[in-house]
Amino acid sequence: MLPALKAVTANEQADLKLLGRIADWCERFTPFVALDPPRGLLLDVTGATHLFGGEQAMLGRICANLEGQGFAVRGGMAGSALAARALARYRSGSVAAPGDEAKAIAGLPVEALLLDPVTTHAFRRAGLKRVDQVAGRDRRELTSRFGARMVFTLDSALGATEAPILPRAPLPDYRAERNFPEPVMTEDVIRATLTELASSLCEILEKRGEGARCLEAAFFRADGIVRRIAVETGTPVRDPAIIERLFRERLDALADPLDPGFGYDLIRLSASRAERAEAGVADFDADLNAKREIRFLIDRLAARFGAQRILAFQPNDTHIPEYAFAAVPAQQIQETRIAWEKIRRPGEAPRRPLRLLTKPEPVSLLRAIPGSNAPHMRWRHAQRSVTHAEGPERIAMEWWRHQDPQPTRDYHRIEDAEGRRSWIFREGIPDREDFSAQWRIQGMFA
Amino acid sequence: MTAFAEIGVTTNFSFLRGASHPQEFVAQAAGYGYTAIGIADRNTLAGVVRAYSAHEEMKEQTDVLPKLLIGARLVFVDGTPDILVYPTDRPAYGRLCRLLSEGKLRAPKGECLLTLADLLRWQDGLLLVVMPPHPRRDRTSIGLQEKVWNDGLADRDGGPGSIPKESFETRLRAEPDEIEMLLKQLLAAAPDRVWLGVSQHMQGDDARRFETWRVVAGRARVPLIATNDTLYHRYERRELQDVVTCIREGVTLNEAGRRIEANAERHLKAPQEMAELFAHAPEAIAETVRFADRIAFSLAQLKYNYPDEPVPKGKTPQQHLEDLVWQGARWRYPGLLPDTVREILEKELALIAKMEIAQYFLTVHDIVKFAREGEKEEGKAQTILCQGRGSAANSAVCYTLGITSIDPVQMDLLFERFVSEERKEPPDIDVDFEHERREEVIQYIYRRYGHHRAALAATVIHYRPRSAVREVAKVFGLTEDIAADLASGVWGSWGSNLSDAQVRQGKLDPFNLVIARVVKCTRELIGFPRHLSQHVGGFVLTNDRLDECVPVSPATMENRHFIEWDKDDIDAVRMMKVDVLGLGMLTCIRKAFDLIKRYQNQTLDLNMTANNPAVYEMLQKADAIGVFQVESRAQMSMLPRMQPENLYDLVIEVAIVRPGPIQGGMVHPYLRRRDGIETVEYPSPSLEHGKPDELIPVLKKTLGIPLFQEQAMKLAMVAAKFTSTEANGLRRAMATFRNLGTINTFKDKFVGRMIERGYEADFAERCFKQIEGFGSYGFPESHAASFALLVYVSAYIKRFHPAAFACALLNSQPMGFYAPAEIVRDAREHDIEVRHVDVNFSAWDNTLEQDGKGGLALRLGLRQVDGFQEKWAIELVKQRGNRYGTVGDVARRAKLPKRALIILAEADCFQSQNKDRRATLWDVRRLADDDALPLFAHQFVEEQPEEEIAPLPVMPESEHVLADYQMLRLSLRAHLMKFLRGLFQSEGVLSCWDVSGDLKAEPCNEEGKRPICKDGDSAACAGIVLTRQMPGDAGVVFITLSDETGITNVVVWPRLVEEFRREIMGARLLVVEGKVQCSSQGVVHLVAERIVDRTAELERLSEDDHGAPSFRSQGAARHHHPRNVRVVPKSRDFH
Repeated sequence: MLPALKAVTANEQADLKLLGRIADWCERFTPFVALDPPRGLLLDVTGATHLFGGEQAMLGRICANLEGQGFAVRGGMAGSALAARALARYRSGSVAAPGDEAKAIAGLPVEALLLDPVTTHAFRRAGLKRVDQVAGRDRRELTSRFGARMVFTLDSALGATEAPILPRAPLPDYRAERNFPEPVMTEDVIRATLTELASSLCEILEKRGEGARCLEAAFFRADGIVRRIAVETGTPVRDPAIIERLFRERLDALADPLDPGFGYDLIRLSASRAERAEAGVADFDADLNAKREIRFLIDRLAARFGAQRILAFQPNDTHIPEYAFAAVPAQQIQETRIAWEKIRRPGEAPRRPLRLLTKPEPVSLLRAIPGSNAPHMRWRHAQRSVTHAEGPERIAMEWWRHQDPQPTRDYHRIEDAEGRRSWIFREGIPDREDFSAQWRIQGMFA
Repeated sequence: MTAFAEIGVTTNFSFLRGASHPQEFVAQAAGYGYTAIGIADRNTLAGVVRAYSAHEEMKEQTDVLPKLLIGARLVFVDGTPDILVYPTDRPAYGRLCRLLSEGKLRAPKGECLLTLADLLRWQDGLLLVVMPPHPRRDRTSIGLQEKVWNDGLADRDGGPGSIPKESFETRLRAEPDEIEMLLKQLLAAAPDRVWLGVSQHMQGDDARRFETWRVVAGRARVPLIATNDTLYHRYERRELQDVVTCIREGVTLNEAGRRIEANAERHLKAPQEMAELFAHAPEAIAETVRFADRIAFSLAQLKYNYPDEPVPKGKTPQQHLEDLVWQGARWRYPGLLPDTVREILEKELALIAKMEIAQYFLTVHDIVKFAREGEKEEGKAQTILCQGRGSAANSAVCYTLGITSIDPVQMDLLFERFVSEERKEPPDIDVDFEHERREEVIQYIYRRYGHHRAALAATVIHYRPRSAVREVAKVFGLTEDIAADLASGVWGSWGSNLSDAQVRQGKLDPFNLVIARVVKCTRELIGFPRHLSQHVGGFVLTNDRLDECVPVSPATMENRHFIEWDKDDIDAVRMMKVDVLGLGMLTCIRKAFDLIKRYQNQTLDLNMTANNPAVYEMLQKADAIGVFQVESRAQMSMLPRMQPENLYDLVIEVAIVRPGPIQGGMVHPYLRRRDGIETVEYPSPSLEHGKPDELIPVLKKTLGIPLFQEQAMKLAMVAAKFTSTEANGLRRAMATFRNLGTINTFKDKFVGRMIERGYEADFAERCFKQIEGFGSYGFPESHAASFALLVYVSAYIKRFHPAAFACALLNSQPMGFYAPAEIVRDAREHDIEVRHVDVNFSAWDNTLEQDGKGGLALRLGLRQVDGFQEKWAIELVKQRGNRYGTVGDVARRAKLPKRALIILAEADCFQSQNKDRRATLWDVRRLADDDALPLFAHQFVEEQPEEEIAPLPVMPESEHVLADYQMLRLSLRAHLMKFLRGLFQSEGVLSCWDVSGDLKAEPCNEEGKRPICKDGDSAACAGIVLTRQMPGDAGVVFITLSDETGITNVVVWPRLVEEFRREIMGARLLVVEGKVQCSSQGVVHLVAERIVDRTAELERLSEDDHGAPSFRSQGAARHHHPRNVRVVPKSRDFH
């Protein structure tokens, strides 16, 4: 219908975050900013309007400023929060003089009161479709039908009663910070501060039974520049020593070291992602302890060299040999349910080779397998005579991943006269698939 | 050539495991020249009849066919490896059925719970093939096993007893020792009947594993038998196999990993290929042939096994039937029995005797007798209306027994069409009962024949385009949106294909690789069985235990069972089946009869002489809303052209507006001949090929035009010289539209031979088109005749008792084509006063009241109020006493919850208290909430003081009407469109009266306005969508629009359907621009050229004060009261 219209899936969390950022920005007008989600903000500007040239001017300035940032804004101002909300939504840009709230919102539809849908519907059905029609009813009549709360809401919208604006509550967050009256610059002080912050942060975490997966240290320079340093961990931690050590690794490895300039007046350590963590009781299980040690080592190495450079193998659930494993950042390794196959019976040779070639390489076979008298295999200019062979193991490619049909592979385990075992396959099933039968070697067993 | 028999076949009746139809396996096996093919689905025999039917059909074409073996693959919950079982003879087959039934009866729906102990109990006569599991797969029974533990099923009555988890796990590992022990255990019970099945699926260690099994088998002294353990018939099905595996596991292809097979080897392989795979063990291949030779069972050994309950002692069934027939003849033909009738009855009885099917008739008669008379001991006087439908109406015996209501002698219907010696099939009698009381009949059948001998047939639920495309798209990892887009282009849930056009309709590119793959797999998946469900009323009855003929599963309803086979399967194995169907119109007629008896003291019944001219006059004017069968748009436009004058005209009327005759292009020639515009002539072959009048007996009754299903069949035999076998094949191909391919093979034969014999090619083509159209929608003459009688009866009631008719129709909803709004509107047009729902006058049902002018008025019942519950209505009526004075009165005395009172107030049901909806609603709000604390409960309403309040603003009419629609789906005040008239007038959009009003009507309409449009005019018309109809596969859509002035019938040609599919399928309010088309009989259609969805206008209407706020995206608009969302009820759609 509208070719220029682009539809994007709503992301409520992101919206809420954005609303918070706008609220931050609004704090320059008044410290009392309240969120009115999903997309409203309430500012208590009592006593602040004169700083911005009066009510109308202040409202205009806020709206214009936000519009300049690319937002579509509707705003209203009134002596009561509810009246202001109604004006913003239904008569943007207007200011109700103190005591005039009732008059200002009288002509608005009853929806402007932002009551619950059932009540709003009841008013409309009763023919009370404008605010003044509802306001004009006897309060006892309304109370007996909709309860005292609704009447309170109505009266506060009309400015008859006070409903205070509650400022934004601080987000539940794990953080510890230290203010310095005099900016600090020496490394010793900075490190000591970090240690101190780490232990108070861990204290909070301990209380909540959680551990940090992602930590951030923020260094606020006196001149307003902020430097943020983050580290991640593979398991939730709340051991101050570990945290401190991680930051030390990280700080030592920084390509551009911290530049305190004129000094920091605030250092903040926060856990931006926390997870449930078991109490750090010493484990007597040596295996578990060893595993934990490895994880801490991984964290330290990752903090020093970067998470992308500490890799580990992880099995992939697929039939295709070269995709059956992947190297992923070690911190992200999951204890997957998919284990490597353990179907080898005692005494049997392994089904998969110890070493895979990066790419299967062509070989030429001088006689088909399984043949009678030792066929020959030529690979990398060397000739070997095949003494034993087992197969085929037929593996078809994952058809849905490829544009064109891929040749099915018939794998054989072979052993040559010198006892070397290798893994070779033939591409394409004769008479069924349209490929020339090419033999390739993919790996060596020993 | 190597002789080989495949015994391990898993078809798609092992749901989401097999990827080929049973018939595909059979055909492929025949192609490879197999010695035998055995169907062995997982704990089921559901697919074997399909294989059997395909096999029988192929028998007619070739002599060399693989032997068909019927078996099952037993999957156990105790960790025992799968075992293929094949019965050697009929008794052994019975035991297999018992075994499976037992497993199903104790399992949750759709599952089967078996243990090795069960098998050992029933193993007699069964050949057992142990299939050692592969350690890397076949861990599939674990899920059910867990269920057994978790749900405590094991310990339930008749359960397998608890199975220690350890033993389960050991067995599952399938160590060679375990297998050896199992083999020995089986061998002890079934010496000489145990095998070890081995497969070569190219797993790398095939040879090694084979050696293990060779040793095990040798030690246990059982032979090895080769099988490819197949899942599909050709390797090309691997992709579909992967897809169904993913559907089953609930994963996408990318997540599937090793849950899907590593290669495509599990297909039927040519004997030569099998021999090469087993080159090291030719004895395993040879064993398959010996195995097949041991089996002497075929499904042909099931058949007639009719109950003999109804036969009194000392009489043969035939004698008893004859007694009943002559007795019935005296009732049907009072006075002297005409000789013709006597002759026909004697002839029919002779044939029945010869075919030994007297018990069949007696059983059906017994059921019908119950409906008519009730069980004597119960002494229930209330009878249930019933009438046989379908080909049974060809039988005079059925007529005299009271099974059907049509006199075949008078109608000149032929018994041979019902039962024929050649067809060797049991007769098929379907009986319609009142749909609300069908359950009583079903209960009677269970009482009389017992649960072990009576069960419902199954309905195989197949993948339809929509369900298939959804699931396949999910497997490919497409988002819900795209899947929905793909599915949105599919009309209804029916149809058998997904065309490129439909893909494009969903705004997707059919050439995109992923989309193309989705479409390809969807096409293959369509028609796959998905699960079994119970048939609505198809009963299977046997004389012996039913569970020895076919496995029986428990149905959802307590104490209900259904078998594993559907109707076609039952036909194929010739079991006794009777359809106990529910017909809404019979309920409606019954209710109308009761009302007429009560208010007008007249007694009517179905046995009417259909000759009242007033009734036909009414039908000729297409005044047929609510009348059975002829109320659809297409039928109503046909009525003025047909001008029916007698019952046979109605028979034709019913049969002619069907996909068959329409697609065959037979309608217009028939009408022209009827009107005398065209001379009646009979197509004839050239002289050397036969008598020129050979078709006269076939087509005489229908003026030389084939209209009925059996005429088409007769044409095939007479004009195209089909043998009876060929004709049978054609009939079967017609019956199952799924066999899309098969019908075309008949086409060349049919058309070719007719042309060869000198018929015009055009005529031959049209005849065949008609046969194709009959596919699933054909009407045989007898069926049309049975229906025609109901057309007459319902039309009679409408003509002479319109109030009772409308009332009965409303009380039988949902049924028929029209929503209550149309029924009410029609009643008012027939001068019936319709009164609003009222707490002081309405019951749950709609009722009749004296209208004070000597007639009857219709009082709407509380059932018309959306969301109001029947139990509230009952309480409301019970406590009404003289009358309710106030809302509080209702609340106090009837003790209705506040929710109910709000609904009543919203629906404006307090008019008799002189309070409108607005005032009562305001009053209701004042009542205490239901969840008030018990402490305050006693001070219910009466304690509240009277209050003096200012009057509320007056509710505008448009708002009342809108609220009426929201609560009742109709309004007695005005039509919604009235309030949009100004808007549409300003756009130049005409009203329905302007477009399609009756030009000749005197007086014009209420305003004295004449319609504006003439034939050929261009016009635009707006209205609420009443019905959408897409008859058959023709691609034309009929839409009925309604406004305050009447209705307009819109025709949308297929080309436009594609273009405006979204509007047509989605909109509630449409503006249609097009050309007006008037037929000579005054039927007006608007042929659409452009269609606009204006549903949004209705929402605008709900913005009752029209200066709607400009910015509403915030609070209120987003949180509409739920009732506000649906302004107008959905239209009714028919496919």
